Amino acid sequence: MKHLIRILLAVSVAAVVAVPAFADLQVATSLTDLASVAQFVGGTHVKAQSLCRGYEDPHFVPAKPSLMKAIQHADVFVSTGLELDGGWLPLVLPGSRNPKIQPGTKGFVDASQGVQVLEKPSGTVSRAEGDIHPLGNPHYYLDPKALEVVANHLADVFSRLDPKYAEDYRENAKKFDERMEASLKKWQEQMEPYKGQPIVPYHKNFIYFIDRFGLKEFGNVEPKPGIPPTPRHIAELAEAMKGSGAKVVVYEPYYKADAANEVAKRAGGTAVEVATEVGGLPGTDDVFSKFDVLVRSISTALSGKSGGQK
Amino acid sequence: MSRRIILVAALLCLPALAAAQDTSTGPSSSMFSNLANPAIGVNALFTGQAAPNIDQAYGLGFDEAEISLISVVDPYWTFVSNIVFLPDHTIDPEEVWVRSTNIPSVQLKLGNLRGTFGKHGLLHTHAFPFVQAPIVMSNTIGNEGFKDAGVEAAWLTPLPWFSELTAGAYQSVGLDDDHPLDFGSTKHDNVPLLGHFKNLVDLNDATTLEIGQSLLTGHGADASRHSAYGADVTVRNVPARNSNRHGWILQGEYLQKGVATGGDYVREQDGGYASFQYRFSQVWWMGVRGEQARNSFTDFVVDETGTPLPATVRRGSVNVAWTPSEFSFVRLEYSHAKADAGIHPSDDRLLIQMSYTIGYHPAHAY
Repeated sequence: MKHLIRILLAVSVAAVVAVPAFADLQVATSLTDLASVAQFVGGTHVKAQSLCRGYEDPHFVPAKPSLMKAIQHADVFVSTGLELDGGWLPLVLPGSRNPKIQPGTKGFVDASQGVQVLEKPSGTVSRAEGDIHPLGNPHYYLDPKALEVVANHLADVFSRLDPKYAEDYRENAKKFDERMEASLKKWQEQMEPYKGQPIVPYHKNFIYFIDRFGLKEFGNVEPKPGIPPTPRHIAELAEAMKGSGAKVVVYEPYYKADAANEVAKRAGGTAVEVATEVGGLPGTDDVFSKFDVLVRSISTALSGKSGGQK
Repeated sequence: MSRRIILVAALLCLPALAAAQDTSTGPSSSMFSNLANPAIGVNALFTGQAAPNIDQAYGLGFDEAEISLISVVDPYWTFVSNIVFLPDHTIDPEEVWVRSTNIPSVQLKLGNLRGTFGKHGLLHTHAFPFVQAPIVMSNTIGNEGFKDAGVEAAWLTPLPWFSELTAGAYQSVGLDDDHPLDFGSTKHDNVPLLGHFKNLVDLNDATTLEIGQSLLTGHGADASRHSAYGADVTVRNVPARNSNRHGWILQGEYLQKGVATGGDYVREQDGGYASFQYRFSQVWWMGVRGEQARNSFTDFVVDETGTPLPATVRRGSVNVAWTPSEFSFVRLEYSHAKADAGIHPSDDRLLIQMSYTIGYHPAHAY
């Protein structure tokens, strides 16, 4: 019993010492892209952090207790929505013991609200098709226009929670939109020569990028979403690519480079490692630089001048 | 005459009945909405065992089917239940509880709980890292952990790392197959109590260290104080760039059960295990475990009449698992055990286990 009292005393003393840092709004997000947008919109009034790192597969984030700890005092939690974080968020959110950010409260934000969702399954949803997302493709953060929707949504949320800076949040969101529109124009010019050209993403997460920039998806290195590539699928995909003109395979840092490289090698094409999330590769520190690097990598690969694996 | 009156009355009533039927098909479809139905998942577990020392035919058997239902009750409570269907045609409401996270830094759980004791005791059967639970489990707190009706409050302390202090109070329950701890005193002040202290720190980007201590204590039917103690250490590695392809878990746990009578504490059973699990691709895991249990009962330690005997048992297990998706696995396990009592000084067995999950199934606790 004395031992237990000592432990409780030690915890209580440490609790007084370890006072959490305070800012106007502590914002936590599922994805680095959402944290980047939140930081732009929030400016100096917000401190945004992402639970998933940019080089980590957003489907498979381990529900570490340290993530629960990280959001114990958050004022806002921004979920990607569309069940991308559905595997780990149901453990992390209640584990945080933070009543302010539980689903249904003012501090919980589903960032997909208002986004035009692609690939919504019609008819019966079955896992025979792999690890599909029943609410639609959740990788909308690969469309710059979708991030404008997120920015305006977050400005509304921040304004409600922190009305004294509402004008700043709306002004920041407006600036974000303007900068994104200008950047999008530049990226579309870079991608213009490659309209209609096919690419082969590792996972089925490029559809928003493909749709925005007028590319075509030839196939995926994964035979079905979430199912690892088999030697047979790699051989069949590479064979099919040979006669189609599809030469570029793209994969993220968290996917198996060997399989992507093998497909590209057999098809006589190029495999390029790209960051689809902020922080996935060096130089992708915010959503703008992420798209800068992504557009440059893909356009270079499509031009046949890529330094990727051949 | 009276028949005619009844017939006419019936004919007159027909339009009214038809109208009543029409209206009943209309509003009823929207009156009972299914939009707030719970998330539903089902897991089925099958095990085949070849164990020469056990009086049992070889072959594949049905272990259990677990139906999980999870939903939000209202703005204050979330409802979680796991109902288990067993091969003997019984149904076990293994977990039926509600959770509140409305109190800052505190999680409150109320109902039929899996008590927060130790590490292995928190796992559902299909999440066991090895087909067989460590022998010490069924001799201290229960093969599948301590499960009973009660209330638990888990406080996430303000320390800079994850530090959780849990306190619980449970109903008193006597000895049975699920309860090796005797909490059967019917005295009004017999409220079995639980304490758990868990600390987890990130050693680096990929590796965590977790240390836990557990205590469970209450009064038995013999009026003595019965207690269980536990300590566990886990080092886990999940590389961020390969989170669904590589990683390892090094884990050790010690449990002890004892009784205090008249101020003298007597250790009854104790033991522990050390295990290492390694994931070497998206679909393959392997594991190795060594364990010891003292003064403990297990299925192959019996006398000539088949009566179970207590013994010191040492067992080594090795397994390999194929997990083609998050929702199914097949694993093969071999174990070799030695005991210092009974007619079988050693035991070798081969097991195969299959698990299938449909519907909603969130990730297991880290």
